[in-house]
Amino acid sequence: MRKTFIVAKHEFLATVKTKGFIFSLILPLLILLLMVFAMGFIPQMTSETPHNIGFVDETGMLQTSENFIKFGDFGNAKKALLENEINSFFVLPANYFETGKISVYSKGGFFSSRPTSSIEAFLMDNLLRESNLDETLKERIKEPANEEVITLNEKGEVEEKSGVGFLIPYALGILLMIAIMSSSQYLMQGIVAEKENKTVEILLSSLSANELLSGKILGFGSAGLLQVLVWICSVGIILFLSPFASLFQGIQISWILILAIVYFILGYLLFAGSMACVAAPASTVRDAQQGAMIFTMLAILPMILLSIIVKAPNSVIAKVLTYIPYTTSVTTLMRIALVEVPIYEIAASLSILVISVLIMTKLSAKIFRTGILMYGKKMKMKDIFRYLRE
Amino acid sequence: MNEKILDVKNLTKSFDTKIVLDNLSFEVKKGVVFGLLGPNGAGKTTIIRIILDIIRADHGEIKIFGEKFDENLKEKIGYLPEERGLYQKITVLECLKYFAELKNVKKSEDKIDFWLDKVGLRDYKRKKIEGLSKGMQQKIQLVAAFIHSPELLILDEPFSGLDPINTKMVKDILLDLKREGKTIILSTHQMDQVERTCDRILMINRGKRVLYGSLDEIKSNYKESLVVEYEGDLGRIEGVKKINDYGKYAELSLEEDTDPQEILKRLIEIVGVRRFEMKAPSLNEIFIEVVENA
Repeated sequence: MRKTFIVAKHEFLATVKTKGFIFSLILPLLILLLMVFAMGFIPQMTSETPHNIGFVDETGMLQTSENFIKFGDFGNAKKALLENEINSFFVLPANYFETGKISVYSKGGFFSSRPTSSIEAFLMDNLLRESNLDETLKERIKEPANEEVITLNEKGEVEEKSGVGFLIPYALGILLMIAIMSSSQYLMQGIVAEKENKTVEILLSSLSANELLSGKILGFGSAGLLQVLVWICSVGIILFLSPFASLFQGIQISWILILAIVYFILGYLLFAGSMACVAAPASTVRDAQQGAMIFTMLAILPMILLSIIVKAPNSVIAKVLTYIPYTTSVTTLMRIALVEVPIYEIAASLSILVISVLIMTKLSAKIFRTGILMYGKKMKMKDIFRYLRE
Repeated sequence: MNEKILDVKNLTKSFDTKIVLDNLSFEVKKGVVFGLLGPNGAGKTTIIRIILDIIRADHGEIKIFGEKFDENLKEKIGYLPEERGLYQKITVLECLKYFAELKNVKKSEDKIDFWLDKVGLRDYKRKKIEGLSKGMQQKIQLVAAFIHSPELLILDEPFSGLDPINTKMVKDILLDLKREGKTIILSTHQMDQVERTCDRILMINRGKRVLYGSLDEIKSNYKESLVVEYEGDLGRIEGVKKINDYGKYAELSLEEDTDPQEILKRLIEIVGVRRFEMKAPSLNEIFIEVVENA
């Protein structure tokens, strides 16, 4: 056990000191910061400036408002646009009532925006003024649905969820998948690198293959867990300090986080064991990656079927993915964030995962022990069966 | 000195249908330098890996230090594998500290300094391994095998890749360790090194033991050979069974009834003879004869 921790410490420090790892910690946070900035400030930057919109009215219906400047003819409006007195103008043709068509003129450019919604609101105001409808009805036409979405659980009780609750399963699913895959990829590369630089036999003269493999799994897994925790904490802090903090109030995510960590550990152990099986007999990282393709595909399957899982978290597809060891971590966690998943389904998912991890641990230890000293030979299925017999 | 450090009995190992080790038995006593010889693919590395429990034998029994293999025994063994390398992106100190820690070495930095001094690499302690020459890396690997003062050293081709000066340095270190009572198993193809350094040898071919014992015992079973230093073209000589010709130096194995004096006469007729000597066959000659006749 002592040697397992020495290997784990070595692999952990070697991984977290790499530029790739530091980059993988910072990059998602930079993207998130950029997104928060974009969502918070770009709408203000690109918001329409209605007082700069001109119009040429051939129907005689429109009345000048403080935001819209009336022009007598197309030539004057065009001149005002070119001289930057207005940002855009539109022409309401004489046959507007029959066709509904209008022409909007603006200058091009990267930051130009089309004032469609402002023009629509302006036209709506004028059309309603022309009608004889009741004021209350006019207001309803302007704003027909002031939505409040209420989610019911299977018992018919109201579930309290915030408006951005739907983001949680996406975020958790993606985070979990990236963390599991990146940790097991680090493990795979670490095993092959040790084969390539030929240090593995020196190591095996100091400790057993099982101790070496366990140390590696623990070391790379800790690096992966650190990655997840840094991401989750940073995301929490950024969102808490952002203008959207109020949107996330009331979301009970503490127990989801605990489950996320349990699913990360079990999911990682399963993928790590699988990656060790393909990495140990491989001579190069490329060979190992080819072998790992099937596991990578299985890992991203829940993301490919994300829209189905989110739309129908209790559908057959979502349930089937819950019972497949390689897809259960991400799928179950996403489902839990969306609906109330029965306890027996979570228990079944965790049991399947634990059993699979135990089987894979035994399998990978055997394959690792024999395969790690195999040089210059391509791995075949019959070799795998042979390792298992030895 | 009669204490058995290693006792191997009836070792058998197959890969698929190929028998790599065939009922092999030998023992190594404390304080000796033991040569493990054999042509490429003979099974030497397989024996070493089985001794270290890196792979398992199909049949047979191994006792190290009088005990059955136990993971803790690895701390008493130093190993330099043939397929060797180092972590390239870390410093010499970081690399050796990691290996020392795995061997349960306390205050490893003092020992690292001692050994780096001994192999003349103290100034490279904080340099990255990738910046070191191949020979320097080879010496770092040897330090990794020595760092925990093992009772048994297993060195697979320790001299390969070393220049004559470093070869002498390593040989001197091995002799010092022998004087300290350490046991050394040397697997190499360099027969002259084996001849000068080893007390006992085991030669295997196709997984079978073909020679085993002290050098004197082994050589006494082979007929003396003729050594000739000459100038000219040697060609074929009547009465000579086999010639190992180096161009200016040749080792001649004579046929059963051939008189060496007759050979000398014949040689004088065809080349300029500078040296003519009857001597016990070299290990190199024995090795070639054994392998070719197998």
